[in-house]
Amino acid sequence: MTENLSLSLLNSYKKTINSYDEVIDHNGQVKPHWRSLFDTLESIGMEELELRNQEIINKLKENGVTYNVYNADNGGNRAWKLDPIPFLIHQKEWQNIEKGLKQRATLLDLILKDIYGPQLLIKKNIIPAELVFDNSGFLQPCFDVKQKLQNQLLIYACDMARGPDGKMWLLDNRTQSPSGSGYALENRTVMAKVFPELNKNIYRNRLSPYFNHLQQTVATLGNLSNENPNVVFLTPGAGNETYFEHVYLSSYLGYTLVQGSDLLVRDGFVWLKSIDGLERVDVIIRRVDDEWCDPLELRQNSLLGVPGLLQVMRMGNVAVVNPPGASVVENYGLLAFMQNACKFLLDEPLQMNSVATWWCGQTKELNFVLNNLHRLIIKKANRKQGFKSLYGRQMSKEELERLRKMILQSPKDFVAQEEVSLSTTPSLIDGKLVPRFAAIRTFLVSDGNDYKVMQGGLTRSSPVKDKFVISNQLGGLSKDTWIVTDTPTEHYERIVVRKTSSNQHNNSLTSRNAENLFWVGRLFERTMALTSFLRIVLDRLNENVNDKGKKQQEYLVVLFKSITHLTWTYPGFTDEEDDSILENPEPELFSLINDTKKVGSVAYNIQSFLRTSNQVSDKWNVETRRILNLIEDNLQSLKDSHSINQVSHSLDKLYTRLFAFYGNIFETLPRDSGFYLFEAGKNIERILSHVSVLRSAFSFKNKDVVEAVLMEAVLENHHLLAQYRHIYKSHWSLVAVLNMVFLETNLPYTLASLLDALSNCLSKLPKNIDSNRLNIAERTVLEASTLVKLFDAESMIKADEDTHYRTELDKTLEQVFDLISNVTGNLASLYFNHSVIQHSFLDTIEKINSDEI
Amino acid sequence: MKYKLRHQTVYTYVNPVDNYQSVLCLEPLTLPTQLCHNFDLTIEPQPIKVYDRTDFFGNTQHYFSLHESHKVLKVIASSEIEILPKTTVTISSITCEEAKLRFQNDNALKIEVLQYQLPSQFIKWDDEIKAFAETCLSPSTPLFEGVSKLSAKIFHEFQFKSGFTSVNTPLKTVLKERKGVCQDFSHLAIACLRSVGLAARYVSGYIETIPPKGKPKLQGSDASHAWISVYIPEMGWCEFDPTNNLIPSDKHIITAYGRDYADVAPLKGIIFSSGEHKVGVEVDVIRED
Repeated sequence: MTENLSLSLLNSYKKTINSYDEVIDHNGQVKPHWRSLFDTLESIGMEELELRNQEIINKLKENGVTYNVYNADNGGNRAWKLDPIPFLIHQKEWQNIEKGLKQRATLLDLILKDIYGPQLLIKKNIIPAELVFDNSGFLQPCFDVKQKLQNQLLIYACDMARGPDGKMWLLDNRTQSPSGSGYALENRTVMAKVFPELNKNIYRNRLSPYFNHLQQTVATLGNLSNENPNVVFLTPGAGNETYFEHVYLSSYLGYTLVQGSDLLVRDGFVWLKSIDGLERVDVIIRRVDDEWCDPLELRQNSLLGVPGLLQVMRMGNVAVVNPPGASVVENYGLLAFMQNACKFLLDEPLQMNSVATWWCGQTKELNFVLNNLHRLIIKKANRKQGFKSLYGRQMSKEELERLRKMILQSPKDFVAQEEVSLSTTPSLIDGKLVPRFAAIRTFLVSDGNDYKVMQGGLTRSSPVKDKFVISNQLGGLSKDTWIVTDTPTEHYERIVVRKTSSNQHNNSLTSRNAENLFWVGRLFERTMALTSFLRIVLDRLNENVNDKGKKQQEYLVVLFKSITHLTWTYPGFTDEEDDSILENPEPELFSLINDTKKVGSVAYNIQSFLRTSNQVSDKWNVETRRILNLIEDNLQSLKDSHSINQVSHSLDKLYTRLFAFYGNIFETLPRDSGFYLFEAGKNIERILSHVSVLRSAFSFKNKDVVEAVLMEAVLENHHLLAQYRHIYKSHWSLVAVLNMVFLETNLPYTLASLLDALSNCLSKLPKNIDSNRLNIAERTVLEASTLVKLFDAESMIKADEDTHYRTELDKTLEQVFDLISNVTGNLASLYFNHSVIQHSFLDTIEKINSDEI
Repeated sequence: MKYKLRHQTVYTYVNPVDNYQSVLCLEPLTLPTQLCHNFDLTIEPQPIKVYDRTDFFGNTQHYFSLHESHKVLKVIASSEIEILPKTTVTISSITCEEAKLRFQNDNALKIEVLQYQLPSQFIKWDDEIKAFAETCLSPSTPLFEGVSKLSAKIFHEFQFKSGFTSVNTPLKTVLKERKGVCQDFSHLAIACLRSVGLAARYVSGYIETIPPKGKPKLQGSDASHAWISVYIPEMGWCEFDPTNNLIPSDKHIITAYGRDYADVAPLKGIIFSSGEHKVGVEVDVIRED
């Protein structure tokens, strides 16, 4: 009965299978360990399954799970793809696979240590010397870097797939900075939420023990030098393909996410440049490739690494996971010699086969490859040479001939692999279950002497039929990977307890992130202030019934010009020569709202705001990320709006979401330097934008009727209209308005309140000098604050009889504006002093002004 | 022969430098044919500590970092060098082809020389360089004789001209323009040897210069120098100086061996600053009687 149930979902699937299948056995039956899954899926039903698939897409998007694709138009993020059908392996089989994986990790560790050590493997002719010396992963400066644990290879990922014999075969090794474990974890989290019924009906092993082991290993590594190790997660930056994972994992593991420029070598240690000063770093988990890690001794032009890092490692003052140089064992050519290396180093046969590999540097192997080109896969022994694997099967005669010549030019550079027929597994594609090839990436972490295997992995399957294209770069799908058992397994987790001591590290705020947070504050408020003011102007525009042939209302002219001043989009509405733009303001207003290329427009500001927010995405919680996604949607709807009405509606929506962003931050961000810098940025921008509008509105005296409308608009811009009406009813007095806008300290949007708020933020930031003295930023704000508080409205509103210019008012506002503008520079000199450029020099003899020889 | 050696490098920066990381390769080697005594390193501003290590190629490297703001950096390396008489080795008649086969078939030898047969950061070759090499290093030519011919050819056909090339000038250009300095000539000679399957390494060091007759030797008038070392089976590593077309004897002081200049640059550094810098170098190789 149950079997029939499962099969109805798989009926059409069965017919499309043409090779070894993971789910269906050779009798056309569902294999026992898959049954429970398909019974559950059956009860969910195909229609519902589609809905759940959509839910997965939404969840991943909400969580901001992306995979950056290089060379894509606009270099954008690609949403991570997760197939709702997981990949299952039974525990019984898995135990064998695990043995094979552990053996492989142990073997690669020994090879790594041999290559950078006694080199017995080449001396005894077990592996050819070319695979060491002509291996682009072999970095001479790393030969005397030894970390204190027995295993040098601390984390290891292995790609495997099921071969035609039904056994798992090893396809590839990842040893320098393997990625994917974070995506595996996120896949599991999303699946658990979207398919709660699967959690109940199937027993599967948990992923978290792997991460606990990793934390323990890291703690052990750091503990050698520090009881409470300071651990950083080194990323190449937001442009990296797996940046999402760097943010996700660093936050899951509780380590500070840093870039190379956040670190500094000094006095034999690595330091983190934090806003509170230098903090010693004990362990670096790196996602920067080997040769980019240290520009002093490795690739000179690398801006991603830390100059001097290798020297600190040699002294044992910092541990790096994995140590640079580890990529030497990623060379494809070595795969051909694993069996012999295993016998030599471990005195046992390999437990897991690698896919058959021939290195063309040997005559016999070369001849075999040349005679069988049409059925082999050709790769370069060294990775990262921009060489795509070539499939002999798919090549024409001419192409094969060309390949042959290319190989003969330098045989030792090439490796051939057998193209095995891999197993298929069902994927949900376009509403149907169809067979697709799949490969599994598994993750191992060393405990110092032995390896622990993640109970799961990252399965990737090909989006196209009968092709083995699993790389995310090329659009592969991922699958949650389950190790299933017949009975529930007891699991207990050891929790890493940090000892308390004086040098307990919170998540440190790097100077770079400090600056980013400050700018998130500024750009957020810039967008907010402009949106708010535009809504006010659009309301006035909509209310106005323009008599035909009459000139534009004077108050609208002033308001339009204010927008140009506010956004610095000159000439815009201020064009003295041509005032037709004032008669027909819509095109300019549109472009100020939805032109992403126009510097200063709402759309442009949203983009800058989102980009900067992404730089510090490790600071945001799930809700904040979700709101950021919604704001990104707003950007799209603004671009799609074609009438003032639609635009107003979109702006209203945007305004609410921006407030939601701010509200969430205000309620949840810890009150640390990062928060106060964000607040400082926000207040600076708020003061600047309001001062700008005030100047545009009142620097020149207008007719009373016009000024009345302007007063109303300005009050609305300061959120003070209700207060004003409550006190003054419908009486309009500029003195009363300015007094309120400048001086009221119990209303949040007045200049006095904003300046107080700004100086309060600054007082919470770290002090480098005597804490009783004001620093330069605080002094600047005090000066501006004094100008505002000494404000005398009566004398300020006096205007020149002929020019109508209010000199005193305008000059005062200008001074406040300039002072507050300077605060950014003050803060940069105090806290963001990290942006000096790094240069490398390697002078040639002849560049030196010495005598000839 | 004994020498007093002094190598001073002065960097002058337009803008202050707050952070400087450096690796020096300035300490002459102690070898069966050369002794280095009383090596001393003076650095201004003075770093807190200087760390030394032996690199993969057996050279001594010094690492230091500076963290106080400075606009001038001065590095002075001084030592006393004693050049010992060389034992004369019988010149082997092994041909280029025979040597090449030896490198392929003798595994121990292969491991010793392989990295000096491969392209390296500054040494890459094309068909033109190979054709140039083949005029001296044909398969049947005895290797020693071939290298001597190559050295002479570079000496006679190339013009020594400083300022024309930089470390990043491709060897193609050096070959085409027939101009360069000791570093280019050494790189070119090595590229030639490697292009035909032979093994050669780069030697960084100093050479004593003799002032014109009747004139006193001026301070700082010597210079750092570069030449090559070629593996000749039955003889071992043999040195040739293509810039001067001679076989180094007692006027050459060896600092370091590497695959090319990148491995043994006297001073490598990463500065954190904006703006230009200038370098001045003075070398004295003073003979002691």
